[in-house]
Amino acid sequence: MVQRRTAQTPNNDEIQVDHNRDGIDRRGFLKCMAWAGTGALCVLQGGVLKSYSLRHGYGSKRHAQGELSFVQISDRHMGFNKPANPDVIDTLKAAVDKINALPIMPEFMLHTGDISHLSKPEQFDNVDQILKSAHPKNVFFVPGEHDVLEDDGKQYRERYARGAKGAGWYSFDMKGAHFIGLVNVMNLRAGGLGTLGAEQLEWLEKDVKHLSKSTPVIVFAHILLWTVYPEWGWGTDDSAQALAYLKRFGSVTVRNGHIHQTMQKVEGNVTFHTAASTAFPQPKPGEAPSPGPMKVPAEQLRSLLGVTDVNYAPGQHGLAVTDSTLE
Amino acid sequence: MKKSLCTYAVAISTLLGFIALAKTPGTLAATPESSPSGIEVKIDNFSYSPAAVTVKAGTQVTWTNHDDIPHTVVSTDNLFKSKTLDTDEKFSFIPTKPGTYSYFCSIHPKMTAQIVVQ
Repeated sequence: MVQRRTAQTPNNDEIQVDHNRDGIDRRGFLKCMAWAGTGALCVLQGGVLKSYSLRHGYGSKRHAQGELSFVQISDRHMGFNKPANPDVIDTLKAAVDKINALPIMPEFMLHTGDISHLSKPEQFDNVDQILKSAHPKNVFFVPGEHDVLEDDGKQYRERYARGAKGAGWYSFDMKGAHFIGLVNVMNLRAGGLGTLGAEQLEWLEKDVKHLSKSTPVIVFAHILLWTVYPEWGWGTDDSAQALAYLKRFGSVTVRNGHIHQTMQKVEGNVTFHTAASTAFPQPKPGEAPSPGPMKVPAEQLRSLLGVTDVNYAPGQHGLAVTDSTLE
Repeated sequence: MKKSLCTYAVAISTLLGFIALAKTPGTLAATPESSPSGIEVKIDNFSYSPAAVTVKAGTQVTWTNHDDIPHTVVSTDNLFKSKTLDTDEKFSFIPTKPGTYSYFCSIHPKMTAQIVVQ
């Protein structure tokens, strides 16, 4: 079921009761919790990619059937232990349980970055260990900025991107669809956004040249390839060039992480999605002094996962909200 | 809640007139408390505060990350670079040559600031 409504309700965001003087009332708190989540089930049906939040349950076979299904997970931030979620191990395990309970086993998982919080080997090890218990055995990764700290991403590439090009970009074909994993977290420029760079863009142009225009194309990268809120760095400087190479395709889906909340936007032939995080929620664009973690007690965080599902899609007249549920 | 301050190795690099130091808060002459003439820059809410500081050559500048998210302090001209600073971790350096030095967070590049050395 997909409902669409506008989110422009005057004064709706005013705090009415602020017991803890922390700028968050109960209603606001519940709202914040909508931004934390588990992952998304993606099903390719008739060449069009549909996605469902895993937050609400396991869905029916009818929804999960298609040419191909996969799960997107993102922003594990293994090693994060602050009040916003001191137990990211448990929330990751809960996400894997939900994936394993799906009525049809997905072909594979996409992980859109920030596997670790501080690029430490034990943090990567922890995630690898937990993901081993997931039924889909293949995981395709792209790095987040937290995965390439200190060593220019050497450790990341050795663990997750062997055989990939450059900083870890690659593509593969699966059941008629073409998947492209891009890296936009390296060599970030002062004052700038995410960056793909000339070498990767050149590779992308060649990579898609031979494809027929009816090929469904799915692009995944950590930082958004569409600009949501540049003030917080939520965009990629040279993504327009990448998207220009994909213009001739009938069905293009872009899947990102980074902002720890689900959003979606449709622009021409391209559908943009971002995935939630299992680690901690981040505020809505511009609605906090910074994009830092939303601080809430862990037990409340976990019990409130799945309160509601909100996909924000910036449109011409403010934010449109879509609720997608697996029913 | 903030974590206790972490201990990490002393790293000294001298690049084009800069001496970069990362040290424990307990080290003599490393903290603003024991170095009254030192300048402290806070990293809070994804920004450096103050965003511009003016210091005399030889004055130690110390950054402390108060966010729950790691940040870095990296010169845009590659003159100095901190390691990744987790919550409550510090980075210090002592500029020795006059000039204007811009820096940013290499993880969150929208975070920019500068030091003016007289």
